[in-house]
Amino acid sequence: MSAIITPEQRILGAEPPIAKKANRLQATKLNNQMVNAYWEDLFRAKEEGRLVCWTEGIQLNPILQAADIAWCHGEAAAALLAARKESAAPQAHMETLGYDRELCSYARTHIGCGVMNQSSTVEAQTLLNVDARTLGSRIPAPDMIISAYPFCSTGQQWDNELYRTFGKKVPIFNISMDWVWGNKSSAKYMSGPEFREKVAFLKKQLQDCVRFIEGITGKPYDWDRLSDIMKYTKRAAELRLEAMRLCKARPSPASFFEWTNSIAPVNFLPGGPEIVHYFEQKKAEIESRIAQGIGSVPVEKYRLWWDGIMNWNKIGWLSDKFAGYDACMVAGRYTHMGFWQEPQVIDLRDPLDGMAQNYITCPISISAPQVIEKIIEHCEYYEIDGLILHGARTCRAFSYPQYMIADAVGKRLGLPVAMFEGDMVDETFYKDEVVSSRVEAMLEAIDASRARMR
Amino acid sequence: MNTVLDKFAQAAQRPYEHVKAWKQERGVKAVGTLPMHFPAEIIHATGALPVIVQEMPDAITSGGGAMYPFFCGYTRSIVDQVTEDQLGFLDAIMFTDHCVQLLSAADVIRISRPETTIHFHQLIASLRQPWSLESSVKTLRELVADLEEVLGVVVTEEALRHSISVFNENRRLIRDLYQMRRTGQIQLRASQMQHIVKSSMVMDKETHNALLRELIASLKTSTAPRSDEVAIFVSGHLCHAPRPEILDLIEDCGATIVDDDLYTGYRYVSTDVDAGIGDPIVALATAYIRKNDNVPCPTRIDPEVDWEEWLLGAVDRCGAQGLVVLLVKFCEPHYFAYPRIKAAFERNEVPHLMIETEHDGVAMENVRTKVESFVEMIKVQRAARAVAA
Ligand code: SF4
Ligand code: SF4
Repeated sequence: MSAIITPEQRILGAEPPIAKKANRLQATKLNNQMVNAYWEDLFRAKEEGRLVCWTEGIQLNPILQAADIAWCHGEAAAALLAARKESAAPQAHMETLGYDRELCSYARTHIGCGVMNQSSTVEAQTLLNVDARTLGSRIPAPDMIISAYPFCSTGQQWDNELYRTFGKKVPIFNISMDWVWGNKSSAKYMSGPEFREKVAFLKKQLQDCVRFIEGITGKPYDWDRLSDIMKYTKRAAELRLEAMRLCKARPSPASFFEWTNSIAPVNFLPGGPEIVHYFEQKKAEIESRIAQGIGSVPVEKYRLWWDGIMNWNKIGWLSDKFAGYDACMVAGRYTHMGFWQEPQVIDLRDPLDGMAQNYITCPISISAPQVIEKIIEHCEYYEIDGLILHGARTCRAFSYPQYMIADAVGKRLGLPVAMFEGDMVDETFYKDEVVSSRVEAMLEAIDASRARMR
Repeated sequence: MNTVLDKFAQAAQRPYEHVKAWKQERGVKAVGTLPMHFPAEIIHATGALPVIVQEMPDAITSGGGAMYPFFCGYTRSIVDQVTEDQLGFLDAIMFTDHCVQLLSAADVIRISRPETTIHFHQLIASLRQPWSLESSVKTLRELVADLEEVLGVVVTEEALRHSISVFNENRRLIRDLYQMRRTGQIQLRASQMQHIVKSSMVMDKETHNALLRELIASLKTSTAPRSDEVAIFVSGHLCHAPRPEILDLIEDCGATIVDDDLYTGYRYVSTDVDAGIGDPIVALATAYIRKNDNVPCPTRIDPEVDWEEWLLGAVDRCGAQGLVVLLVKFCEPHYFAYPRIKAAFERNEVPHLMIETEHDGVAMENVRTKVESFVEMIKVQRAARAVAA
């Protein structure tokens, strides 16, 4: 096992973090405007006579957008509620109904919104103590549910629960995404017969899903529009990756936390010129910072990797916390290995195949041996000094390989790691004292190793 | 003590010793499988012994450094067994079922012990798509081809048909026992039933069938109506056996477990493979898809079947007066399903009790208190109904 540092091993005398603020990118404001506009638009969808689809997991939004269907992405909704400190209400409703706190907190929050939505009668609201003005209850009820979740079976069960929450009255389309396990040595990252077969199976189901959509809208599907939307999505994804790669610079001009703040345009915002413009702005700002030698943190003494899903209640707070340690979280599995992470394979004349390839290679869809290789590549490229492993308690799909990642990265790159528990949107699993002591111990291990090198 | 039941108990309590001895005696290979719906007939047809990898009661040791403690006991146990080198006697491990924790454990096993052949052929979890059957057939054909390659054998249709009939007989014999138990014709404790089913998961099926026939012939049957005990249906534990101590405890508190849907129980034998379907792989795939009608599985996606409604019916059919749910800590599919079960039983005023079980141990005294009050409550209700009638 590599250097997993427990509080007991913590070297006394570690410096507490000093109050420093991370340098936020200006472009993030634009992201926030787009996100707000998107939600406001979704809240109005029903009044404007638009159909609404609830979905989670992979980015199906271009497929829906091309059919003029509004969409609610479950994780995005849960993250929004967490960021606005409104996730406690739906989570509490779920607990009242008997859903265990160990269940995926995204799912609990999102299904909770469904419950609140279904509880619009005065009696139900009194019983559940629902406030109809809360964000969760403003999400319009679905006219259809499309389930397509990679690897994590919880995703399918989440949709199944939604289907039942809405009394089995909302049509559901279940897409099955096979895991590329690699029974044969020919199975490689994005290549080999096993990969091609799984992509073909997924593509076929996506085509069937389009027929399901046509059945609901009663209109022929606009394939040209899908290509057009994907043109923007692809370009935005390319620009995002180019901008990320620029953060190899020292000091790194942007951090993992900035990239988590830019997930929306490549996860659930509509594909159009706005998202391309956003990443152009972001990239330009990064280039300008590099030219001026401005880093994402005031002092960059350590370059870190964040492994694990994001803790949405704490983005800003964590980014300042690490700035206080003079540590820049340069990159991470969640941001750098997912969300149209392979845009080059999307052929705009036949986008479904490339979309399927991206869906099936997201960071929870590839198996641990490939995850480890990719992380090692990234750590070498970004010259990482240590790994933060955030074990999201209720997202086992993301957490399970972390002991193996710690071990492999420790052995092969000699990097120390700090492991701690937290969660995506359930704050109660996060213990700041544990995080601080583990991070401090890891930074001291980096110092010690640097001292030995001198 | 019945010697046949002893044999079942021994194989169930020391499953791997049994398999190792069998391998040595017969010179056959043993292929491990992971739960929940793996069609082991296919392994049997290769001449190898199919063995369902079991949760072991041992404390987690080295496996604790490979997997977070917030995974279910079964997956942590199997990772520990691998890191503790306890599964080296298996010539390969195969699995087909989609549960995120199972997949996670398999991936950890592969990395912890790269020399283990562990292959996955994903059976579609969504059972009502137009392509569910076709996809399952394709998966099973790939599984056969893979096994042929891994074991260096050829699987003939004839061998498959033979294996299907041997397995069908095994399921039928165990179902017969269930039926006799439901109607009160025989008195087998739940832990004895568990031994019977669990041993079937690791023993050669023909041998198991012969023992089952012997057992059925030797059991004293009674035509007297069931005594005044509180009859209970036990549900849950989708992947592994609940500790027999818990089943014994329930029965020691004045209840009799008359039926169940446990994996190491009725769930395992619920569905035969239709020998009338010409192509044995199509027959196996069809059984997989249809199984959910017989005993719903919350790891499958099936809009047409509700576990809670099925449970209400099952409790009624076996004449039980209450339901005990054994819920494995951290089992997400069961956590999702449980609130609906709870609501349905409350709505229908059928008593139910949920007990959460943990690999690392259950506070038995607390469980005893809960079960005793549950049994008491049922008795009081029954008495009240009798007075009202
Ligand atoms: S547990 Fe994680 S991967 Fe699974 S549905 Fe929840 S957020 Fe998604
Ligand atoms: S179904 Fe439940 S018990 Fe079985 S592997 Fe999955 S989480 Fe564990």
